[in-house]
Amino acid sequence: MKNISLIIGAFLFSTLFYKQDLGLNLSLFSLLTIIVLVIHNKDAFKHRRTIAFSSLYLITGIAIFFYKSNLSIIANCVAFVTLIGHVSEQKSSIYINWLNGLYTFIAAFFHRNFNIIENEEKVKLKKKVDYGHWIKVIGIPSIVLVIFISLYKNGNPVFADIISKIDFSFINLQWLLLAALGYYLLYNISKPIEVNPATEIDLNTSNILKNKSHINIESAKKENQLGVILITLLNLLIIFFLITDITYLITINDLRAPTISNQVHNGINALIASIVMAILIILVFFRGNLNFYEGNKNLKRLTYTWIILNVILIVNIAIKDAQYIYYFGFTYKRIGVLVYLLLTIIGLITTAIKVNQIKNFWYLLRVNTASAFTILIMSSTVNWDNHITYYNLNYAKSIDFNYIINLSNNNTFLLKYYSDNMFLKGKRKVLIDNKYNNYLRQLNNTDWQELGYDNFKLE
Amino acid sequence: MNLPKTILKAIILATTIFWLILTATEGFNEERIYLVFLSLIPISICCSLVIALTISPFFWLKKSGDSNRLVFKKYFPFYTIISFSLCLYGTLQDPLIICFYLSAFFTTMQTWVWLAKGNEQQNKLEV
Repeated sequence: MKNISLIIGAFLFSTLFYKQDLGLNLSLFSLLTIIVLVIHNKDAFKHRRTIAFSSLYLITGIAIFFYKSNLSIIANCVAFVTLIGHVSEQKSSIYINWLNGLYTFIAAFFHRNFNIIENEEKVKLKKKVDYGHWIKVIGIPSIVLVIFISLYKNGNPVFADIISKIDFSFINLQWLLLAALGYYLLYNISKPIEVNPATEIDLNTSNILKNKSHINIESAKKENQLGVILITLLNLLIIFFLITDITYLITINDLRAPTISNQVHNGINALIASIVMAILIILVFFRGNLNFYEGNKNLKRLTYTWIILNVILIVNIAIKDAQYIYYFGFTYKRIGVLVYLLLTIIGLITTAIKVNQIKNFWYLLRVNTASAFTILIMSSTVNWDNHITYYNLNYAKSIDFNYIINLSNNNTFLLKYYSDNMFLKGKRKVLIDNKYNNYLRQLNNTDWQELGYDNFKLE
Repeated sequence: MNLPKTILKAIILATTIFWLILTATEGFNEERIYLVFLSLIPISICCSLVIALTISPFFWLKKSGDSNRLVFKKYFPFYTIISFSLCLYGTLQDPLIICFYLSAFFTTMQTWVWLAKGNEQQNKLEV
Protein backbone atom coordinates (compact mmCIF):
# COMPACT_ATOMS: atom_id res chain seq x y z
CA MET A 1 0.00 0.00 0.00
CA LYS A 2 2.76 2.40 1.04
CA ASN A 3 4.83 1.61 -2.02
CA ILE A 4 1.80 1.99 -4.27
CA SER A 5 1.25 5.48 -2.91
CA LEU A 6 4.82 6.35 -3.89
CA ILE A 7 4.39 4.94 -7.40
CA ILE A 8 1.13 6.84 -7.91
CA GLY A 9 2.84 9.93 -6.49
CA ALA A 10 5.74 9.51 -8.92
CA PHE A 11 3.42 9.38 -11.95
CA LEU A 12 1.53 12.38 -10.62
CA PHE A 13 4.85 14.20 -10.15
CA SER A 14 5.76 13.64 -13.78
CA THR A 15 2.27 14.62 -14.95
CA LEU A 16 2.43 17.81 -12.93
CA PHE A 17 5.91 18.99 -13.86
CA TYR A 18 6.81 17.52 -17.26
CA LYS A 19 7.55 20.51 -19.51
CA GLN A 20 5.41 22.81 -17.36
CA ASP A 21 5.98 26.15 -15.73
CA LEU A 22 5.08 26.55 -12.06
CA GLY A 23 1.52 27.26 -11.00
CA LEU A 24 -1.24 24.94 -9.83
CA ASN A 25 1.23 22.02 -10.06
CA LEU A 26 3.32 23.28 -7.14
CA SER A 27 0.17 23.76 -5.04
CA LEU A 28 -0.90 20.19 -5.85
CA PHE A 29 2.59 18.90 -5.15
CA SER A 30 2.36 20.48 -1.68
CA LEU A 31 -0.81 18.50 -1.11
CA LEU A 32 0.79 15.33 -2.51
CA THR A 33 3.78 15.73 -0.17
CA ILE A 34 1.50 16.04 2.85
CA ILE A 35 -0.50 12.96 1.81
CA VAL A 36 2.70 10.89 1.38
CA LEU A 37 3.99 12.11 4.74
CA VAL A 38 0.70 11.28 6.49
CA ILE A 39 0.58 7.78 4.98
CA HIS A 40 4.12 6.96 6.08
CA ASN A 41 4.31 8.90 9.37
CA LYS A 42 0.93 8.68 11.06
CA ASP A 43 2.40 9.13 14.55
CA ALA A 44 4.14 12.38 13.69
CA PHE A 45 0.84 13.88 12.58
CA LYS A 46 -0.65 13.40 16.02
CA HIS A 47 1.38 16.40 17.14
CA ARG A 48 -0.16 19.84 16.79
CA ARG A 49 3.11 21.43 15.66
CA THR A 50 3.38 19.00 12.75
CA ILE A 51 -0.15 19.89 11.68
CA ALA A 52 0.73 23.59 12.03
CA PHE A 53 3.84 23.20 9.83
CA SER A 54 1.77 21.23 7.29
CA SER A 55 -0.79 24.03 7.24
CA LEU A 56 1.92 26.64 6.70
CA TYR A 57 3.33 24.58 3.84
CA LEU A 58 -0.13 24.27 2.31
CA ILE A 59 -0.70 28.03 2.69
CA THR A 60 2.49 28.78 0.74
CA GLY A 61 1.32 26.30 -1.93
CA ILE A 62 -2.02 28.08 -2.18
CA ALA A 63 -0.21 31.46 -2.31
CA ILE A 64 1.62 30.25 -5.44
CA PHE A 65 -1.71 29.47 -7.09
CA PHE A 66 -3.09 32.92 -6.26
CA TYR A 67 -0.04 35.01 -7.15
CA LYS A 68 3.08 33.25 -8.21
CA SER A 69 6.12 35.23 -7.17
CA ASN A 70 9.74 34.39 -6.39
CA LEU A 71 9.01 35.06 -2.72
CA SER A 72 6.10 32.61 -2.57
CA ILE A 73 8.18 29.94 -4.35
CA ILE A 74 11.09 30.44 -1.93
CA ALA A 75 8.69 30.37 1.04
CA ASN A 76 7.14 27.15 -0.30
CA CYS A 77 10.58 25.49 -0.59
CA VAL A 78 11.59 26.63 2.93
CA ALA A 79 8.24 25.45 4.38
CA PHE A 80 8.69 22.10 2.58
CA VAL A 81 12.17 21.54 4.02
CA THR A 82 10.97 22.66 7.48
CA LEU A 83 8.03 20.26 7.45
CA ILE A 84 10.17 17.29 6.36
CA GLY A 85 12.75 18.12 9.02
CA HIS A 86 10.06 18.50 11.65
CA VAL A 87 8.58 15.10 10.82
CA SER A 88 12.05 13.55 11.27
CA GLU A 89 12.35 14.99 14.80
CA GLN A 90 9.52 16.97 16.40
CA LYS A 91 11.52 18.43 19.26
CA SER A 92 14.47 19.89 17.36
CA SER A 93 15.11 23.57 16.58
CA ILE A 94 13.97 25.04 13.31
CA TYR A 95 17.49 25.34 11.85
CA ILE A 96 18.04 21.64 12.60
CA ASN A 97 14.71 20.99 10.86
CA TRP A 98 16.15 22.73 7.80
CA LEU A 99 19.29 20.58 7.95
CA ASN A 100 17.33 17.34 8.43
CA GLY A 101 14.75 18.34 5.82
CA LEU A 102 17.33 19.20 3.20
CA TYR A 103 19.34 16.04 3.87
CA THR A 104 16.22 13.87 3.75
CA PHE A 105 15.03 15.49 0.54
CA ILE A 106 18.29 14.99 -1.34
CA ALA A 107 19.91 11.85 0.04
CA ALA A 108 17.65 9.76 2.30
CA PHE A 109 17.67 6.97 -0.28
CA PHE A 110 21.44 6.55 0.03
CA HIS A 111 21.33 6.92 3.79
CA ARG A 112 18.75 4.16 4.09
CA ASN A 113 20.60 2.08 1.53
CA PHE A 114 23.60 2.13 3.83
CA ASN A 115 21.10 1.14 6.51
CA ILE A 116 22.71 2.26 9.71
CA ILE A 117 21.13 0.66 12.71
CA GLU A 118 21.77 3.24 15.39
CA ASN A 119 21.12 1.09 18.44
CA GLU A 120 22.78 -2.08 17.39
CA GLU A 121 25.80 -0.18 16.04
CA LYS A 122 26.32 -2.52 13.14
CA VAL A 123 25.79 -2.51 9.45
CA LYS A 124 22.96 -4.70 8.36
CA LEU A 125 23.46 -5.98 4.86
CA LYS A 126 20.16 -6.08 3.06
CA LYS A 127 19.13 -9.50 1.80
CA LYS A 128 15.77 -8.60 0.33
CA VAL A 129 16.51 -7.48 -3.22
CA ASP A 130 19.89 -7.42 -4.89
CA TYR A 131 19.40 -4.30 -6.98
CA GLY A 132 22.97 -4.41 -8.34
CA HIS A 133 22.40 -7.89 -9.71
CA TRP A 134 19.13 -6.90 -11.38
CA ILE A 135 20.72 -3.80 -12.87
CA LYS A 136 23.46 -6.02 -14.30
CA VAL A 137 20.96 -8.62 -15.56
CA ILE A 138 18.86 -5.99 -17.35
CA GLY A 139 21.43 -3.30 -18.13
CA ILE A 140 24.39 -5.20 -19.57
CA PRO A 141 22.40 -7.39 -22.03
CA SER A 142 20.44 -4.32 -23.14
CA ILE A 143 23.57 -2.29 -23.88
CA VAL A 144 25.27 -5.22 -25.66
CA LEU A 145 22.08 -5.88 -27.63
CA VAL A 146 21.86 -2.27 -28.81
CA ILE A 147 25.52 -2.32 -29.90
CA PHE A 148 25.09 -5.55 -31.87
CA ILE A 149 21.83 -4.43 -33.49
CA SER A 150 23.52 -1.27 -34.73
CA LEU A 151 26.42 -3.36 -36.11
CA TYR A 152 24.14 -5.92 -37.83
CA LYS A 153 22.08 -3.10 -39.34
CA ASN A 154 25.09 -2.10 -41.41
CA GLY A 155 25.66 -5.66 -42.56
CA ASN A 156 22.17 -6.63 -43.73
CA PRO A 157 19.67 -4.28 -45.49
CA VAL A 158 16.64 -6.53 -44.74
CA PHE A 159 17.54 -6.62 -41.06
CA ALA A 160 18.08 -2.84 -41.12
CA ASP A 161 14.68 -2.34 -42.76
CA ILE A 162 12.86 -4.43 -40.12
CA ILE A 163 14.67 -2.72 -37.28
CA SER A 164 13.92 0.75 -38.65
CA LYS A 165 10.19 -0.11 -38.71
CA ILE A 166 10.16 -0.72 -34.96
CA ASP A 167 8.76 2.48 -33.50
CA PHE A 168 9.20 3.21 -29.83
CA SER A 169 8.23 6.86 -30.16
CA PHE A 170 5.13 6.29 -28.02
CA ILE A 171 7.45 5.80 -25.02
CA ASN A 172 8.43 9.14 -23.62
CA LEU A 173 11.74 8.42 -21.93
CA GLN A 174 12.00 11.95 -20.57
CA TRP A 175 8.59 11.65 -18.90
CA LEU A 176 9.57 8.29 -17.42
CA LEU A 177 12.85 9.66 -16.11
CA LEU A 178 11.00 12.54 -14.45
CA ALA A 179 8.65 9.98 -12.89
CA ALA A 180 11.70 8.08 -11.61
CA LEU A 181 13.04 11.32 -10.15
CA GLY A 182 9.62 11.90 -8.55
CA TYR A 183 9.74 8.41 -7.05
CA TYR A 184 13.22 9.10 -5.71
CA LEU A 185 12.08 12.37 -4.09
CA LEU A 186 8.90 10.90 -2.61
CA TYR A 187 10.76 7.82 -1.39
CA ASN A 188 13.27 10.15 0.30
CA ILE A 189 10.65 12.20 2.10
CA SER A 190 8.40 9.26 2.98
CA LYS A 191 10.55 8.38 6.01
CA PRO A 192 12.49 11.49 7.04
CA ILE A 193 15.90 10.93 8.60
CA GLU A 194 18.12 12.84 10.99
CA VAL A 195 21.59 14.28 10.64
CA ASN A 196 23.56 13.15 13.63
CA PRO A 197 25.27 14.14 15.86
CA ALA A 198 23.80 17.60 15.02
CA THR A 199 20.25 16.59 16.00
CA GLU A 200 21.35 14.83 19.19
CA ILE A 201 23.42 17.85 20.25
CA ASP A 202 20.48 20.15 19.56
CA LEU A 203 18.11 17.99 21.60
CA ASN A 204 20.54 17.95 24.50
CA THR A 205 21.10 21.72 24.46
CA SER A 206 18.68 23.70 26.58
CA ASN A 207 17.97 27.45 26.35
CA ILE A 208 19.17 28.18 29.85
CA LEU A 209 22.74 29.18 30.59
CA LYS A 210 24.22 26.95 33.25
CA ASN A 211 26.64 28.09 35.92
CA LYS A 212 29.44 25.74 34.95
CA SER A 213 32.14 26.58 37.42
CA HIS A 214 32.92 28.39 40.60
CA ILE A 215 32.74 32.17 40.01
CA ASN A 216 36.06 33.96 40.33
CA ILE A 217 34.78 37.12 42.05
CA GLU A 218 37.87 39.18 41.23
CA SER A 219 37.79 38.45 37.51
CA ALA A 220 33.99 38.90 37.35
CA LYS A 221 34.36 42.27 39.11
CA LYS A 222 36.96 43.43 36.58
CA GLU A 223 34.86 42.26 33.65
CA ASN A 224 31.80 43.96 35.11
CA GLN A 225 33.78 47.22 35.47
CA LEU A 226 34.92 47.03 31.86
CA GLY A 227 31.34 46.33 30.72
CA VAL A 228 29.91 49.26 32.69
CA ILE A 229 32.47 51.72 31.24
CA LEU A 230 32.09 50.45 27.68
CA ILE A 231 28.29 50.34 27.63
CA THR A 232 28.01 53.73 29.36
CA LEU A 233 30.19 55.27 26.66
CA LEU A 234 28.19 53.54 23.95
CA ASN A 235 24.96 54.80 25.51
CA LEU A 236 26.29 58.37 25.51
CA LEU A 237 27.41 58.00 21.92
CA ILE A 238 24.07 56.68 20.69
CA ILE A 239 22.18 59.45 22.59
CA PHE A 240 24.37 62.07 20.89
CA PHE A 241 23.81 60.38 17.52
CA LEU A 242 20.04 60.25 18.05
CA ILE A 243 19.85 63.96 19.01
CA THR A 244 21.75 65.03 15.90
CA ASP A 245 19.76 62.62 13.70
CA ILE A 246 16.37 63.75 15.01
CA THR A 247 17.43 67.42 14.61
CA TYR A 248 18.38 66.68 11.03
CA LEU A 249 15.08 64.88 10.42
CA ILE A 250 13.07 67.85 11.74
CA THR A 251 15.01 70.51 9.86
CA ILE A 252 15.39 68.66 6.54
CA ASN A 253 14.08 70.68 3.61
CA ASP A 254 15.57 68.83 0.68
CA LEU A 255 13.03 66.17 -0.22
CA ARG A 256 14.61 65.02 -3.48
CA ALA A 257 14.69 61.25 -3.91
CA PRO A 258 18.51 60.85 -3.98
CA THR A 259 18.91 62.83 -0.74
CA ILE A 260 16.36 60.83 1.24
CA SER A 261 17.55 57.60 -0.42
CA ASN A 262 21.11 58.30 0.74
CA GLN A 263 19.83 59.08 4.20
CA VAL A 264 17.81 55.88 4.53
CA HIS A 265 20.46 53.60 3.05
CA ASN A 266 23.33 55.14 5.04
CA GLY A 267 21.17 54.92 8.14
CA ILE A 268 20.44 51.27 7.44
CA ASN A 269 24.10 50.40 6.89
CA ALA A 270 25.03 52.10 10.15
CA LEU A 271 22.14 50.36 11.85
CA ILE A 272 23.17 46.92 10.60
CA ALA A 273 26.69 47.42 11.96
CA SER A 274 25.56 48.95 15.25
CA ILE A 275 22.86 46.35 16.01
CA VAL A 276 25.08 43.39 15.15
CA MET A 277 27.86 44.85 17.27
CA ALA A 278 25.44 45.67 20.09
CA ILE A 279 24.17 42.07 20.20
CA LEU A 280 27.75 40.69 19.95
CA ILE A 281 29.01 42.93 22.77
CA ILE A 282 26.07 41.93 24.98
CA LEU A 283 26.68 38.26 24.16
CA VAL A 284 30.38 38.56 25.01
CA PHE A 285 29.72 40.17 28.39
CA PHE A 286 26.84 37.88 29.28
CA ARG A 287 28.43 34.68 27.96
CA GLY A 288 29.15 33.08 31.35
CA ASN A 289 30.01 33.99 34.91
CA LEU A 290 28.89 37.63 34.72
CA ASN A 291 25.29 36.41 34.53
CA PHE A 292 25.65 34.91 38.01
CA TYR A 293 27.73 37.71 39.55
CA GLU A 294 25.65 39.54 42.14
CA GLY A 295 27.05 43.00 41.38
CA ASN A 296 25.93 42.98 37.73
CA LYS A 297 22.75 45.03 38.26
CA ASN A 298 24.20 48.30 36.91
CA LEU A 299 25.61 46.55 33.89
CA LYS A 300 22.21 44.96 33.24
CA ARG A 301 20.45 48.34 33.56
CA LEU A 302 22.93 49.92 31.14
CA THR A 303 22.40 47.03 28.73
CA TYR A 304 18.62 47.47 28.79
CA THR A 305 19.08 51.23 28.23
CA TRP A 306 21.32 50.52 25.28
CA ILE A 307 18.79 48.10 23.82
CA ILE A 308 16.00 50.70 24.23
CA LEU A 309 18.17 53.36 22.57
CA ASN A 310 18.82 50.99 19.68
CA VAL A 311 15.06 50.47 19.37
CA ILE A 312 14.64 54.28 19.20
CA LEU A 313 17.31 54.30 16.48
CA ILE A 314 15.25 51.73 14.58
CA VAL A 315 12.09 53.81 14.97
CA ASN A 316 14.04 56.79 13.66
CA ILE A 317 15.09 54.87 10.56
CA ALA A 318 11.52 53.58 10.12
CA ILE A 319 10.24 57.19 10.12
CA LYS A 320 12.78 58.11 7.44
CA ASP A 321 11.72 55.09 5.38
CA ALA A 322 8.03 55.96 5.85
CA GLN A 323 8.75 59.53 4.73
CA TYR A 324 10.54 58.18 1.70
CA ILE A 325 7.58 55.88 0.92
CA TYR A 326 5.11 58.74 1.44
CA TYR A 327 6.81 60.89 -1.20
CA PHE A 328 8.07 58.32 -3.69
CA GLY A 329 5.94 55.23 -3.12
CA PHE A 330 6.73 51.62 -2.29
CA THR A 331 9.54 49.57 -3.80
CA TYR A 332 10.80 46.14 -2.78
CA LYS A 333 13.91 47.73 -1.27
CA ARG A 334 11.85 50.07 0.91
CA ILE A 335 9.63 47.20 2.07
CA GLY A 336 12.78 45.16 2.66
CA VAL A 337 14.05 47.91 4.96
CA LEU A 338 10.85 47.69 7.02
CA VAL A 339 11.12 43.90 7.24
CA TYR A 340 14.75 44.20 8.30
CA LEU A 341 13.77 46.73 10.98
CA LEU A 342 11.09 44.36 12.27
CA LEU A 343 13.61 41.52 12.47
CA THR A 344 16.07 43.81 14.24
CA ILE A 345 13.51 44.80 16.86
CA ILE A 346 12.75 41.11 17.47
CA GLY A 347 16.50 40.47 17.76
CA LEU A 348 16.89 43.23 20.34
CA ILE A 349 13.87 42.12 22.38
CA THR A 350 15.13 38.53 22.47
CA THR A 351 18.58 39.80 23.50
CA ALA A 352 16.95 41.67 26.41
CA ILE A 353 15.09 38.47 27.39
CA LYS A 354 18.38 36.55 27.15
CA VAL A 355 20.05 38.95 29.60
CA ASN A 356 17.05 39.08 31.94
CA GLN A 357 16.32 35.35 32.11
CA ILE A 358 19.94 34.14 31.78
CA LYS A 359 19.47 32.36 28.47
CA ASN A 360 22.26 31.16 26.18
CA PHE A 361 23.27 31.87 22.59
CA TRP A 362 21.22 28.92 21.30
CA TYR A 363 18.06 30.53 22.66
CA LEU A 364 18.75 33.60 20.52
CA LEU A 365 19.43 31.48 17.45
CA ARG A 366 16.31 29.35 17.96
CA VAL A 367 13.90 32.22 18.55
CA ASN A 368 15.30 34.48 15.84
CA THR A 369 15.38 31.81 13.13
CA ALA A 370 11.80 30.87 14.03
CA SER A 371 10.82 34.56 13.79
CA ALA A 372 12.52 34.93 10.41
CA PHE A 373 10.71 31.79 9.18
CA THR A 374 7.34 33.12 10.38
CA ILE A 375 7.90 36.49 8.69
CA LEU A 376 8.93 34.75 5.46
CA ILE A 377 5.75 32.64 5.42
CA MET A 378 3.55 35.61 6.30
CA SER A 379 5.10 37.83 3.64
CA SER A 380 4.66 35.13 1.01
CA THR A 381 0.88 35.39 1.43
CA VAL A 382 0.83 39.03 0.33
CA ASN A 383 0.48 40.05 -3.29
CA TRP A 384 3.24 42.65 -3.03
CA ASP A 385 3.28 43.73 -6.66
CA ASN A 386 -0.42 44.49 -6.56
CA HIS A 387 -0.15 46.41 -3.29
CA ILE A 388 2.91 48.36 -4.42
CA THR A 389 1.14 49.34 -7.63
CA TYR A 390 -2.10 50.28 -5.88
CA TYR A 391 -0.35 52.48 -3.31
CA ASN A 392 1.99 54.14 -5.79
CA LEU A 393 -0.77 54.93 -8.26
CA ASN A 394 -3.21 56.28 -5.67
CA TYR A 395 -1.20 57.78 -2.82
CA ALA A 396 2.48 58.36 -3.69
CA LYS A 397 3.42 61.98 -4.37
CA SER A 398 5.51 61.01 -7.36
CA ILE A 399 5.49 57.77 -9.40
CA ASP A 400 8.33 55.84 -10.97
CA PHE A 401 6.15 54.40 -13.74
CA ASN A 402 8.89 52.23 -15.27
CA TYR A 403 9.36 50.50 -11.93
CA ILE A 404 5.65 49.62 -11.77
CA ILE A 405 5.59 48.36 -15.36
CA ASN A 406 8.64 46.16 -14.74
CA LEU A 407 7.04 44.40 -11.78
CA SER A 408 5.65 40.88 -12.32
CA ASN A 409 2.30 40.18 -13.98
CA ASN A 410 0.58 40.19 -10.59
CA ASN A 411 -0.28 43.87 -11.12
CA THR A 412 -1.36 43.64 -14.77
CA PHE A 413 -5.13 43.63 -14.20
CA LEU A 414 -4.83 46.51 -11.75
CA LEU A 415 -2.79 48.52 -14.26
CA LYS A 416 -5.34 47.83 -16.99
CA TYR A 417 -8.15 48.91 -14.68
CA TYR A 418 -6.22 52.07 -13.86
CA SER A 419 -5.50 52.75 -17.53
CA ASP A 420 -9.18 52.33 -18.52
CA ASN A 421 -10.63 54.33 -15.65
CA MET A 422 -8.14 57.17 -15.68
CA PHE A 423 -8.37 57.44 -19.48
CA LEU A 424 -4.61 57.30 -19.83
CA LYS A 425 -3.07 58.29 -23.14
CA GLY A 426 0.37 58.25 -24.71
CA LYS A 427 3.37 56.15 -23.76
CA ARG A 428 2.01 54.94 -20.43
CA LYS A 429 -1.16 53.56 -22.03
CA VAL A 430 0.90 51.78 -24.71
CA LEU A 431 3.14 50.22 -22.06
CA ILE A 432 0.16 49.01 -20.01
CA ASP A 433 -1.66 47.65 -23.07
CA ASN A 434 1.48 45.78 -24.17
CA LYS A 435 1.89 44.24 -20.77
CA TYR A 436 -1.80 43.34 -20.59
CA ASN A 437 -1.91 41.77 -24.05
CA ASN A 438 1.27 39.77 -23.47
CA TYR A 439 -0.13 38.50 -20.19
CA LEU A 440 -3.45 37.54 -21.78
CA ARG A 441 -1.58 35.61 -24.47
CA GLN A 442 0.45 33.88 -21.78
CA LEU A 443 -2.67 32.98 -19.77
CA ASN A 444 -4.44 31.60 -22.83
CA ASN A 445 -1.49 29.33 -23.60
CA THR A 446 -1.20 27.77 -20.16
CA ASP A 447 -1.81 24.08 -19.56
CA TRP A 448 -3.92 23.01 -16.59
CA GLN A 449 -0.77 22.34 -14.55
CA GLU A 450 0.29 25.97 -14.88
CA LEU A 451 -3.07 27.47 -13.98
CA GLY A 452 -3.19 30.39 -11.60
CA TYR A 453 -5.98 32.42 -10.07
CA ASP A 454 -5.68 34.96 -12.89
CA ASN A 455 -6.81 32.32 -15.39
CA PHE A 456 -10.20 32.27 -13.70
CA LYS A 457 -10.51 36.05 -13.99
CA LEU A 458 -10.60 35.75 -17.76
CA GLU A 459 -14.01 35.80 -19.30
CA MET B 1 39.58 -0.05 0.68
CA ASN B 2 39.12 -1.38 -2.83
CA LEU B 3 39.42 1.98 -4.55
CA PRO B 4 40.07 0.86 -8.16
CA LYS B 5 37.01 -1.42 -8.09
CA THR B 6 34.87 1.38 -6.66
CA ILE B 7 36.13 3.84 -9.27
CA LEU B 8 35.35 1.33 -12.02
CA LYS B 9 31.79 0.89 -10.71
CA ALA B 10 31.42 4.67 -10.43
CA ILE B 11 32.55 5.15 -14.04
CA ILE B 12 29.94 2.66 -15.27
CA LEU B 13 27.23 4.27 -13.16
CA ALA B 14 28.14 7.82 -14.23
CA THR B 15 28.27 6.86 -17.92
CA THR B 16 24.91 5.08 -17.68
CA ILE B 17 23.16 8.01 -15.96
CA PHE B 18 24.79 10.57 -18.26
CA TRP B 19 23.77 8.82 -21.48
CA LEU B 20 20.36 7.84 -20.18
CA ILE B 21 19.46 11.46 -19.53
CA LEU B 22 21.09 12.67 -22.73
CA THR B 23 19.20 10.04 -24.73
CA ALA B 24 15.94 11.00 -23.03
CA THR B 25 16.37 14.66 -23.86
CA GLU B 26 18.00 14.55 -27.29
CA GLY B 27 17.22 11.09 -28.65
CA PHE B 28 19.69 8.42 -29.72
CA ASN B 29 21.17 7.33 -32.99
CA GLU B 30 23.81 4.78 -33.80
CA GLU B 31 26.48 7.41 -34.48
CA ARG B 32 26.37 8.17 -30.82
CA ILE B 33 27.64 4.75 -29.83
CA TYR B 34 31.17 5.89 -30.64
CA LEU B 35 30.61 8.94 -28.51
CA VAL B 36 29.50 6.74 -25.63
CA PHE B 37 32.84 4.98 -25.70
CA LEU B 38 34.72 8.23 -26.23
CA SER B 39 32.93 9.80 -23.28
CA LEU B 40 34.37 7.10 -21.05
CA ILE B 41 37.71 8.94 -21.12
CA PRO B 42 36.59 12.27 -19.56
CA ILE B 43 34.11 10.48 -17.29
CA SER B 44 36.89 8.18 -16.01
CA ILE B 45 39.16 11.15 -15.33
CA CYS B 46 36.39 13.09 -13.54
CA CYS B 47 35.28 10.07 -11.47
CA SER B 48 38.82 9.11 -10.47
CA LEU B 49 39.74 12.64 -9.45
CA VAL B 50 36.52 13.36 -7.56
CA ILE B 51 36.54 10.04 -5.70
CA ALA B 52 40.26 10.09 -4.90
CA LEU B 53 40.34 13.75 -3.88
CA THR B 54 36.98 14.38 -2.24
CA ILE B 55 35.55 11.09 -0.90
CA SER B 56 38.41 8.69 -0.14
CA PRO B 57 40.27 11.15 2.15
CA PHE B 58 37.40 10.92 4.63
CA PHE B 59 38.13 7.21 5.01
CA TRP B 60 41.92 7.50 4.74
CA LEU B 61 42.18 10.24 7.35
CA LYS B 62 39.74 8.83 9.88
CA LYS B 63 40.91 8.42 13.46
CA SER B 64 42.10 4.92 14.32
CA GLY B 65 39.12 4.18 16.57
CA ASP B 66 36.48 5.44 14.15
CA SER B 67 34.49 2.98 12.10
CA ASN B 68 33.44 3.65 8.52
CA ARG B 69 29.88 3.79 9.70
CA LEU B 70 30.81 6.73 11.94
CA VAL B 71 32.68 8.48 9.12
CA PHE B 72 29.64 8.03 6.87
CA LYS B 73 27.27 9.26 9.56
CA LYS B 74 29.40 12.30 10.39
CA TYR B 75 30.46 13.60 6.98
CA PHE B 76 28.10 12.20 4.36
CA PRO B 77 25.18 14.58 5.15
CA PHE B 78 27.33 17.68 4.81
CA TYR B 79 29.14 16.35 1.73
CA THR B 80 25.71 15.65 0.20
CA ILE B 81 24.35 19.11 0.94
CA ILE B 82 27.46 20.85 -0.47
CA SER B 83 27.50 18.59 -3.52
CA PHE B 84 23.78 19.19 -4.13
CA SER B 85 24.21 22.97 -3.78
CA LEU B 86 27.09 23.02 -6.28
CA CYS B 87 25.20 20.83 -8.77
CA LEU B 88 22.06 22.95 -8.41
CA TYR B 89 24.08 26.14 -8.94
CA GLY B 90 25.75 24.63 -12.02
CA THR B 91 22.40 23.49 -13.43
CA LEU B 92 20.84 26.92 -12.91
CA GLN B 93 23.81 28.52 -14.67
CA ASP B 94 23.49 26.23 -17.67
CA PRO B 95 20.41 23.94 -17.71
CA LEU B 96 21.66 22.19 -20.85
CA ILE B 97 24.32 20.26 -18.95
CA ILE B 98 21.93 18.94 -16.31
CA CYS B 99 22.92 15.40 -17.37
CA PHE B 100 26.48 16.07 -16.23
CA TYR B 101 25.44 17.42 -12.82
CA LEU B 102 22.81 14.74 -12.21
CA SER B 103 25.26 11.94 -13.03
CA ALA B 104 27.96 13.59 -10.90
CA PHE B 105 25.57 13.93 -7.93
CA PHE B 106 24.15 10.43 -7.98
CA THR B 107 27.53 8.83 -8.67
CA THR B 108 29.24 10.56 -5.75
CA MET B 109 26.37 9.63 -3.43
CA GLN B 110 26.48 5.96 -4.43
CA THR B 111 30.29 5.94 -4.21
CA TRP B 112 30.05 6.97 -0.55
CA VAL B 113 27.81 3.97 0.10
CA TRP B 114 30.10 1.61 -1.82
CA LEU B 115 33.21 2.79 -0.03
CA ALA B 116 31.61 2.73 3.41
CA LYS B 117 29.98 -0.66 2.90
CA GLY B 118 33.06 -2.18 1.26
CA ASN B 119 35.27 -1.10 4.12
CA GLU B 120 32.78 -2.34 6.67
CA GLN B 121 32.79 -5.80 5.12
CA GLN B 122 36.61 -5.72 5.03
CA ASN B 123 36.69 -4.80 8.72
CA LYS B 124 34.38 -7.69 9.51
CA LEU B 125 36.66 -10.12 7.71
CA GLU B 126 39.67 -8.76 9.60
CA VAL B 127 37.87 -9.30 12.91
